[in-house]
Amino acid sequence: MARETKLRVEGLKTRFFTEEGQVNAVEGVSFEVAEGEVFGIVGESGSGKSVTALSVMDLVDAPGRVVDGEVWFRSPALADRVGEEIPEAVDGELVDLRRLDARERRALRGAEFSTIFQDPMSSFNPSITVGEQIAEAVEVQRRARANPRSVRSRTQGYGLSSFVVDSLLPTREYVHRPSRDRAIELLELVGIPDPAERAGEYPHQFSGGMLQRAMIAQALAGEPSVLVADEPTTALDVTIQAQVLDLLAELQAETGMTTVLITHNLGVIARMCDRVGVMYAGEIVERGTLEDVFDEPVHPYTQGLIGSIPDLEGSHQRLEPIPGNVPSLLDAEMDDRCYFADRCPKAMHECLEKPPDFAVDDLHAAKCYLARHDYDEADALPEGYFDA
Amino acid sequence: MGFGKFLARRILQGVFVVWGVVTVVFFLRFLTPGDPTATLLPPDAGEAVRQRLREQLGLDQPVHIQYIDYLTDIAMLDFGLSMREGRPVGELILVRLPATLELAIAATIVAVVIAIPLGVISARRRHEPADHGATLFSLVGISTPNFWLGIVLIMFIAVRVGFLPVGGRSVNLTQVVTMLADGQPQYLGRWLGQLILPSIALGTYFTALITRLTRSGMLEELGKAYVKACRAKGLPEALVLYKHVLRNTLIPIVTVLGLQLGTLIGGAVITEEVFAWPGLGSFLIRRITLRDWTAIQGTIIVIGIGFVIINILVDSTYAYLDPRVVDE
Amino acid sequence: MIPDRVRASLKRELRTSLLAKVGIVLVVSIFVLATFAPFFAPHDPTTQRVGVGGTEAQSNLPPLGFSQEVQRVSPQGTETVYVNATAEFPLGTNTQGQDILSRLIYGARVSLLVGLLGAGLAVIVGVPWGLVAGYFGGRLDDGLMRGADVMLAFPSLVLAIALVGVFRDSGFHTTRIPDPFVLAAQSETIPNVLIPRSDHVASMPESFVFPVTVTLVVALVNWVWFARVARGEAISVRTEEYVKAARSIGASDVTILRQHVLPNSVTPIIVLATIQVAAIILLESALSFLGFSGTDLTWGADIADGRGDQRSQWWIATMPGLAIVLAVVGVNLVGDWLRDALDPSIEGEGGV
Ligand SMILES: Nc1ncnc2c1ncn2[C@@H]1O[C@H](COP(=O)(O)OP(=O)(O)OP(=O)(O)O)[C@@H](O)[C@H]1O
Ligand code: SF4
Ligand SMILES: [Mg+2]
Repeated sequence: MARETKLRVEGLKTRFFTEEGQVNAVEGVSFEVAEGEVFGIVGESGSGKSVTALSVMDLVDAPGRVVDGEVWFRSPALADRVGEEIPEAVDGELVDLRRLDARERRALRGAEFSTIFQDPMSSFNPSITVGEQIAEAVEVQRRARANPRSVRSRTQGYGLSSFVVDSLLPTREYVHRPSRDRAIELLELVGIPDPAERAGEYPHQFSGGMLQRAMIAQALAGEPSVLVADEPTTALDVTIQAQVLDLLAELQAETGMTTVLITHNLGVIARMCDRVGVMYAGEIVERGTLEDVFDEPVHPYTQGLIGSIPDLEGSHQRLEPIPGNVPSLLDAEMDDRCYFADRCPKAMHECLEKPPDFAVDDLHAAKCYLARHDYDEADALPEGYFDA
Repeated sequence: MGFGKFLARRILQGVFVVWGVVTVVFFLRFLTPGDPTATLLPPDAGEAVRQRLREQLGLDQPVHIQYIDYLTDIAMLDFGLSMREGRPVGELILVRLPATLELAIAATIVAVVIAIPLGVISARRRHEPADHGATLFSLVGISTPNFWLGIVLIMFIAVRVGFLPVGGRSVNLTQVVTMLADGQPQYLGRWLGQLILPSIALGTYFTALITRLTRSGMLEELGKAYVKACRAKGLPEALVLYKHVLRNTLIPIVTVLGLQLGTLIGGAVITEEVFAWPGLGSFLIRRITLRDWTAIQGTIIVIGIGFVIINILVDSTYAYLDPRVVDE
Repeated sequence: MIPDRVRASLKRELRTSLLAKVGIVLVVSIFVLATFAPFFAPHDPTTQRVGVGGTEAQSNLPPLGFSQEVQRVSPQGTETVYVNATAEFPLGTNTQGQDILSRLIYGARVSLLVGLLGAGLAVIVGVPWGLVAGYFGGRLDDGLMRGADVMLAFPSLVLAIALVGVFRDSGFHTTRIPDPFVLAAQSETIPNVLIPRSDHVASMPESFVFPVTVTLVVALVNWVWFARVARGEAISVRTEEYVKAARSIGASDVTILRQHVLPNSVTPIIVLATIQVAAIILLESALSFLGFSGTDLTWGADIADGRGDQRSQWWIATMPGLAIVLAVVGVNLVGDWLRDALDPSIEGEGGV
């Protein structure tokens, strides 16, 4: 594939500084997504998938912080603009978003990056109509185009006083008519019947599947070039899941959006993705093309995952393939070893030292010594080694 | 269910509550020790005179007849004659109502205008000095008796500095308006001046309370998933903060405030006493000292009705802000 | 008695929160001062020193750190003299020459007693009311809670003023409570060595006036909040599996209410009760300020007393108010601490 890299994440580290201690939620994640490709991230609950997505979007809230890493994003226009001010943030057509200021990054949200969250019910504001919320997403971009400079202001001309005036005078609103019309078009696009009427309804009047479609419509509002979908179907019924996935696949094919798809359902991965990263304890332990990962998995964790898929696609079963628990991500409780070693059936003495990323071939890499040599039973760790 | 039906049900409930208030107030009189005629007649009045008065007042009737009579009277807004001066209680109350409303509204405005921005700042700058200051203010504010605050304000500002009037209500709103039309704006200043200290005294508790509620509500709301979704679609921070978060924070605050209005009205009673403000509150206290029972009953019923009306208004606002309420 | 988990979260919250510590210190010190008032009060709070009968007038003395300019009229004309504070009366004296500090310490007794007893009575009435309404639901619930709504339609101070107005002419408006410490110090049978400062204690008032109607009235205007919270808890517990199971094996409603529903509502009720103690202290002070409580040895009455001297003797009204603020801040802080540690979501008058 000669497609160019759209997004390249390198050594991303995100920490939460909680009362219990430092949580290493994302621990040096690197991956690359080519233009128009679908990259899947799969892993058990708590492995850091969502935090990775949020870190890429710069949406991590206190007490969390992205502490290290680079997020390279291809955008010739942005590279031109930023190049003079911050030359080190630009590499050809790629821009390191981590080096941009918060306003610049906010301007990219909705316009270049969009997100679909796991739980549509809680991801819509319950007291504002669905149509209005989608129209807002259209409106920000409309205003940004009309007045590019306004994008970088904190308020975009909207402050407490505008809120007061808007609430008192119903005729004055942030969202303008054309944006509302566009919101209805978008609802129609994602297959919502009676879009004009439903746009005036509140989230609680929608079913889960309909609301997830609405969120997809909202994500498309700014015509983004990258879509991050964080478990877009987990909260839905099985039959609805398939419909929503079909819709996503269709829209992706149509618009050619570069997509990062997070899920713990390997069936979804198999159906949608070109490349896959497998996450465990905040790290991507294996990545490669769909074939690499499904047909020739190297990492014992991946092997466990693949082994556990019930053969029919579209299974909604949560991944619990390997005995044992996801380790605590508390910094104080993490030893400097292969984090999977305590559950790994093939753990060896050398695994007590942290394995680096080993390239298996061009696009295929794994954080496991088995990528370099075969399992050596003589070197195996004694059973019950980690129980003490 | 539509909004109209919601409102109708709410009003029906309100009527029921008012009926309860009237009933309680009616029976309160039976708890009063002493013969009601004792306060009306000179001590040396003969038994025959007393009996005639009882008949006139209907006090010789059985209780249930008296009760029904009372209910009908109240339903027709007839609160009876004052036991002290023989004038209709309704009239006496009506004269004093505007002063109380003026004070309560002024205090509410002071509270809302100060508290909401303060709460927002406090939540946004969590754990910064501004937040600590606001937290301390709201803690002390909800712990300060408003009558004492009033006295302190009078002592240190009105008397020592001589800045604002010590009390009283020398001009009313009608006068201000006529004078303004006459080209005499200085009355506006007098009117505002006399209102400042009483509304600070009465409003401080509410300012503190709303600040506290706004802060904790904003913090809770900011942790919700939709806030992240709003940011993800690129909305400017101020829009997320006000149109989404603050609006949703105000929804529960509105209900709490409805319940707290009792405290506001109660507070108004005692603030009026401190500032010699000629409203319903100082009227009530004076009448209790005089043991003027018809006046006391009438005042309490009017306050109860006012409270019910405000609560219906509050609930309607709530239903307007949160569409889920009407649907329940 | 307290589950370990609750104890642990109380401790954690206390460790991290400075305000919780301040609150506990305030509440405990005021409680100790009030209980052992005869030991701590430097003077008899009722002794007047107006200068009759050859004693020197010691009225209107300013608090330590202040001095007061007074115009004294004598046959020779008016002269300006400065009255200085004395260490004997650290917070000064009032117009009758009574020691303000001692009055504040004794005033705390009435405030705390009314606060605790009033809240206790409100719990006794409100909690069963709410539990029954919530547990049985239906018609009974409607009836009971509509009744409660009527109570809510009276602003509590207005209702309290009206009720006190009604009952103030009754025989039980106030009662005198004898002071056990003073009686012990005065008695011959208890050896005085057991009592520190026994001569001092013996010279203190033998009893103090307790406002009975005010206590009843504050309970009457507060019980509804407890009924509401208890009802909410009962409703949420009613549908739990273990309650259904208990019912299916034939446990009586009373047993279920006592063994399952009540224990679950304890936490929110404790938090609410704390907040209500603060509200009641404020309410009591308002009633005694208006002169309805029947005793003049309370903070509210002292504020009313000092109100006439607004121009010069600012401390007479200011000091008792500060005492109220400190007490209520303390109780509110303890309430915040309990709420943050136990985390029930409740509403109530006087604090949220
Ligand atoms: N706000 C936060 N504060 C503290 N820790 C957090 C926070 N958010 C996430 N974490 C921690 O980060 C780790 C990764 O969480 P994340 O939500 O990314 O998992 P996930 O892979 O998306 O799981 P799931 O499949 O359940 O969504 C978890 O261990 C979690 O405890
Ligand atoms: S590095 Fe060792 S312990 Fe870790 S997965 Fe590979 S074989 Fe297992
Ligand atoms: Mg997740």
